[in-house]
Amino acid sequence: MKRRTFLKLAGIGSLSVAAGCTSRPENTLYSLVRAPHDMVTGEVRWYASVCRECPAGCGILAKAREGRAVKIEGNPYHPVNRGAICMRGQAALQGLYNPDRLMAPKIKGHDGTFKDISFEMAKGILQKKVKGAAGKAEGGIRMVTETTGETLYELFSDALGRSGALKPLVLEPFAYESLRAAHKAAFGDEALISYRMEGADFLLCFGADFLETWLSPVEYSRKFAAMHGLEEKRKGRFFHVSPVQTLTAANADLWLGCRPDTEAAVAMGLIKAALDWGRGEHLFDELKHGLSRATAAYTPEKVSEETGIAVEDFNRLSNGLLESRWPLVLPTGSANEGPNAVKADIASILLNYIINPTLSLFDFTGPQRVTTAAPRAEADQFFDTLSGRPPELLLIYNANPVYGFPPARGVEAVKAMLEKDAPFVVAFSNFMDETAAVADLIFPTRLPLEMWDEYGGKEGIYATLQPATGLLAPVPHIGDLFLEVFYSAENRPAADYKSLLMRSGMEKAGVRSEREWLMDVIRVGGSFKEKEPVKANAPQVNPDVPAMLSGPVSDSLSDYGNGAASGETRRETLAFLALPSIRFFDGRGGNRPWLCEIPDPMTKVAWNTPAILHPETAAAYKLAQEDLVEIESEWGKLHAPVYITAGIQPGVIAMPMGQGHWGYGRYADQMGTNPLILMPPHTNPESGGPICAAPVTMVKRGRRERLANTDGSRSQHGRTIALTTSIEEVTAHDANHPVKHGLTMHDAPIWMPTPEGYDKHKDFYPAHEHDGYRWAMTVDLDRCIGCGACAAACYAENNVGTVGIERMLEGREMSWLAIQRYMDDDHPERVIFLPMLCQHCDNAPCESVCPVYAPHHSKEGLNNQIYNRCIGTRFCSQNCPYKVRRFNWFSWQWPEPLNLQLNPDVTVRGKGVMEKCSFCIQRIKGAHGIAKNENRKIRDGEVVPACMQTCPTGVFTFGNLLDEKSRVRKMVEDQRAYQILSYLNTKPAVFYLKKVTQHI
Amino acid sequence: MSRLSYAEIDRTVLDTLTPPRRAYWLTVAVLFCGILIGATCWGYQILVGIGVGGQNHPVAWGTYLINFVFWVGIAHSGTLISAILYLFRAGWRNPIARAAETMTVFAVCTAGLFPLIHLGRVWLVYYMLPYPNQRNLWPNFQSPLVFDLIAISTYLTVSSLFWYTGLIPDIARARDNATGTRKKIYKILSLGWTGELEQWRHYSRGYLFFAALATPLVISVHSVVSWDFALSVVPGWHSTIFAPYFVAGAIHSGLAMVITLMIPLRAIFNYKRIITDDVLENVAKTIIFTGLIVGFAYATEYFIAWYSHNPVEIESFRWRALGDYTVEFWIMVICNTLIPLLFFIKKIRRSVPWLFGISILVNVGMWFERFVIIAGGPAHGFIPHSWGLYSPSMVEFGIMLGTFSLFFFLFFLFVKHLPSVSMTEMKELVHEGENSHD
Repeated sequence: MKRRTFLKLAGIGSLSVAAGCTSRPENTLYSLVRAPHDMVTGEVRWYASVCRECPAGCGILAKAREGRAVKIEGNPYHPVNRGAICMRGQAALQGLYNPDRLMAPKIKGHDGTFKDISFEMAKGILQKKVKGAAGKAEGGIRMVTETTGETLYELFSDALGRSGALKPLVLEPFAYESLRAAHKAAFGDEALISYRMEGADFLLCFGADFLETWLSPVEYSRKFAAMHGLEEKRKGRFFHVSPVQTLTAANADLWLGCRPDTEAAVAMGLIKAALDWGRGEHLFDELKHGLSRATAAYTPEKVSEETGIAVEDFNRLSNGLLESRWPLVLPTGSANEGPNAVKADIASILLNYIINPTLSLFDFTGPQRVTTAAPRAEADQFFDTLSGRPPELLLIYNANPVYGFPPARGVEAVKAMLEKDAPFVVAFSNFMDETAAVADLIFPTRLPLEMWDEYGGKEGIYATLQPATGLLAPVPHIGDLFLEVFYSAENRPAADYKSLLMRSGMEKAGVRSEREWLMDVIRVGGSFKEKEPVKANAPQVNPDVPAMLSGPVSDSLSDYGNGAASGETRRETLAFLALPSIRFFDGRGGNRPWLCEIPDPMTKVAWNTPAILHPETAAAYKLAQEDLVEIESEWGKLHAPVYITAGIQPGVIAMPMGQGHWGYGRYADQMGTNPLILMPPHTNPESGGPICAAPVTMVKRGRRERLANTDGSRSQHGRTIALTTSIEEVTAHDANHPVKHGLTMHDAPIWMPTPEGYDKHKDFYPAHEHDGYRWAMTVDLDRCIGCGACAAACYAENNVGTVGIERMLEGREMSWLAIQRYMDDDHPERVIFLPMLCQHCDNAPCESVCPVYAPHHSKEGLNNQIYNRCIGTRFCSQNCPYKVRRFNWFSWQWPEPLNLQLNPDVTVRGKGVMEKCSFCIQRIKGAHGIAKNENRKIRDGEVVPACMQTCPTGVFTFGNLLDEKSRVRKMVEDQRAYQILSYLNTKPAVFYLKKVTQHI
Repeated sequence: MSRLSYAEIDRTVLDTLTPPRRAYWLTVAVLFCGILIGATCWGYQILVGIGVGGQNHPVAWGTYLINFVFWVGIAHSGTLISAILYLFRAGWRNPIARAAETMTVFAVCTAGLFPLIHLGRVWLVYYMLPYPNQRNLWPNFQSPLVFDLIAISTYLTVSSLFWYTGLIPDIARARDNATGTRKKIYKILSLGWTGELEQWRHYSRGYLFFAALATPLVISVHSVVSWDFALSVVPGWHSTIFAPYFVAGAIHSGLAMVITLMIPLRAIFNYKRIITDDVLENVAKTIIFTGLIVGFAYATEYFIAWYSHNPVEIESFRWRALGDYTVEFWIMVICNTLIPLLFFIKKIRRSVPWLFGISILVNVGMWFERFVIIAGGPAHGFIPHSWGLYSPSMVEFGIMLGTFSLFFFLFFLFVKHLPSVSMTEMKELVHEGENSHD
């Protein structure tokens, strides 16, 4: 070959290689022709709205990027939640972008299968049906709706009334019937009040799971922290009486396990003790004598006999209650447990009245919105009448009675009724849920994050919703739909729902123009001006009420539970309790992958539903953890794997609600078990509430079913991980507590993750120098209630993958922040929660072992993980003592449109890469940008990581350790501060503050 | 036994290079299929993600690193036999030195695959190399994995060269007998060896130097491998005895593998007069010694855990013996330290079936030792909430099958294509024997 030929060929060759290697051009890159005026690419827009995942109605701020909502945070102005939000609120986005969300209406054909139709066509069908059914009072149109805001409810009522129909039935699975009945009995008004828990110094709770689902969990989590968190070296005391140690009970200073449905006996014993103590002088005689008579039998011994609570424990409880200045007694939980629930609730109200004559901790001013929900008995009646005289058209808005009623009632009766030809059932549902599946027409309408609306969780709160995200399909607003379908153009009260809302809202919020309404109300999320405190005097207590307390407490149910305790080896019947779930609420959260993936706070089981029982019960039935059992009641039977814990009474089985769906999308179906299967179809005759307790028998099945639990051990094995200190130690006057200066686990001091922590005797490498900032965090274990909101916020903010049950069983969950739950070795009912996240060590074991510098120490002290650099040796994870690193074993899936939730500020990691908590570095970078523009340093408190933002109890503090005045620095100097396993000399930048225990 | 003549040695060894029978090719084909299975599994893993294996959180390392350490360990005794015993003038190593050295080279090759298989993103493995780049990013020389990379590649280079140097005179001898293409290949490989005195002089000097160079590697390479563990903070790994402990274990397993390979080799190729029972007995005696060291190391670990008063260490070792991996632990203890003690009985160490059986058990035991250490350490670490267990998946077993097949595949090709016993060294042995009898 000639030299010239060679050069030519080489030239052609290299050119063709270069030409062939250009990256593929992006084919679909186009800009919006008419962008919404408030949409700027790359910039965040916040929309104030209201969370509608439960009736509490917390205010939220939806963060929108490029026209889509990517994160939900609490609205700090909203009086209910003050900026925090629970994990269900965080997961509302996964309802919005759920891959199983219906994008078009569906009509049922003659063969029973659904066919997609257009929204216009569906509207036409609806219009025709409404016209046909109009004017027939009972046989015409009926409607069932979830708890809605006032404006929407009035529109529904008005629209139905115009067609001659009755008002819609508000259906809410947790409608607090027994508490309402108790209020009705005591005060003559069934309104559900709020509680000034923050003002109490003593809290006694008969099962109200106020940290999980009860009334307004975020609000009460905050108030609980204010009452029970260490403040000025003092903290309130909290007793919890219930058969199962729920998350709320686990936060009590003392959990008193009682037999199911015997809370009333404890309350009456306390009434007796209070009266005997001389309290209740303010009671008028009739009431006082009535009470003495009704409670005369309840001596501590009698109470003990009835409930299984030791006499001394009861005495501790009554002494504590009567010695306290501002006691507050809370009633039973969200799900009514048994026949005595009303009695217990009445007794709890009376107890409050006896020990606090002014009822100053009861807030009667703003009844909870959920009071509008119909008691279950009424709902039952509604469906009974329906099947007797079916209407022509039945409208169901966001309610799922087929799942939410006990199958003994729901599936058999409701479904049969709905499936009959007579009523044409329209489900305004975004999901093919159990109820939608038996409807004739499924008509998706906008979800709360897409709507103009108003919802106040309590009367007197005017909070608004506004669209925070673009529509995925031309879904109509339910209000607009009603205005169009039920009204003719002339008599329509408003052109569209938004104007209707504005009209009513201007009046309620006291604004005069549309501009004011938009700027002062919608923008803030409502009208939250501090009003003059309404001086609502406590209503008079009905003197006849003691009569309702008479009669023995120990009826049917309380007998079930005492078998194992009395030493019998095996009993035929056990008591089975269905518990409301902090993750799924009544089951509506069952299709949100985050809620499935974040484990239950108490059992640490994700995805599947365990049957929780006591070691004694397990021993009597020869059961081991994860053994499959068959539980049968008169009304049904189910299978579930067993979870054994001391946090339940012997002879009782408990199971969280919310799973076991059979038609709610890919994440919910056939996942777990629905405990309502075992529940009776009838309601509690006294309250009209659903019964969530049943006598059952249990049989061991040969097999095991593995639980997707994330805890490797319940014990700390004596290590310095989640530490406690006693209140005496904290309040001791000699504040100069012994300074540790050892090298072993139990006497190693704090070693600061700054140059101060350098000691040439123990450090091989010099300390890191930091550039202006050294980010650090403190975690106050005394305030942590273990609710898991932080974990959910972390999933949402950082695009953390959800892996599903199979992968979780393999131990591959991805949570960057996990709440670890430890039980005391000797007293397993003493539970401590510890949020574990990357400790951003100054002397990080992960950094030194990576061959390619993927974990990297930043100039601001962060332990950065450089995803692009990571080759996946996983050495860092092996060497991390805190085990906070997570590896992408696969490329995780976000089935469309779930991917729209992904935070554009955070990389989505591919397979083969290690990841972990970054202290929300995207937020730190954002703060840097702002500070730089304003030519200043980042202010203390300006950077708020997602976990800290959402925490209802204020566990986290984040800031710059180099700033002597920063809050985090002050917290580090607290005598309770410590570092986990500091003897390893990793010098973590996450400091924990010991939980303060008080043994009463 | 009558004395071997030089011609007899040549004949016996060169006879092994005759065209093989069908059974041989069948075996080679089966092994090749095994390799294909392994390769397919690896391909699948690259495509889908490392999660097809059984590793998880907290046990992020599984059979890939277990096998890596296992094969590096196997490699060691080859160099021990060919280099250290050479320097010590232990004549009994001559008949098996070649085979052991070959085993070393192939075992290092096999071992070298595992870090690649193990990586989450193997396509970026070059990030570990110190190549100049505009970001001025170098590998982290603090990381034991970088030590590993350097140690293993050095070891592979030195042991291959050492092996090849020793082969040159023998290849030349094979060339003289061969015909056709074979002759051409041997001719190239023998690098023009003619057997002149000057060549022998250079050769024996060179061989000696290589032996001296390879000797520290026996110690250093497995020490470095042990630092992958010892330099971490993981309880059960973070221990100063790891280097000698791993080296002893490596030689222990390597010697066992030598016996496992030699017994069939001498049966198939009529090497009984070359690889005599005495040779095997000497290897067995060494196994007693290494087994005792390994047993001592196990005991030391327990002593230190108790002596440290550190609750984490104590729990870690308690759990190792009595916890979830108790079966694996006792397999390890029994196979590695107790069973080799049987070699104290002369009858057993001279009985071929016993030798073979025990050598296999030691191999199994040493594999489980790596399992107990690598999976057991992180499974039961500092944070009890994060404890978890690991068991290998089918894909991992597929890859394991593939790599075992690869090793034996290479060894099978070797024994039929290159002299599997060093004729040169055998003749030296015979010559020295003659001299000593004079």
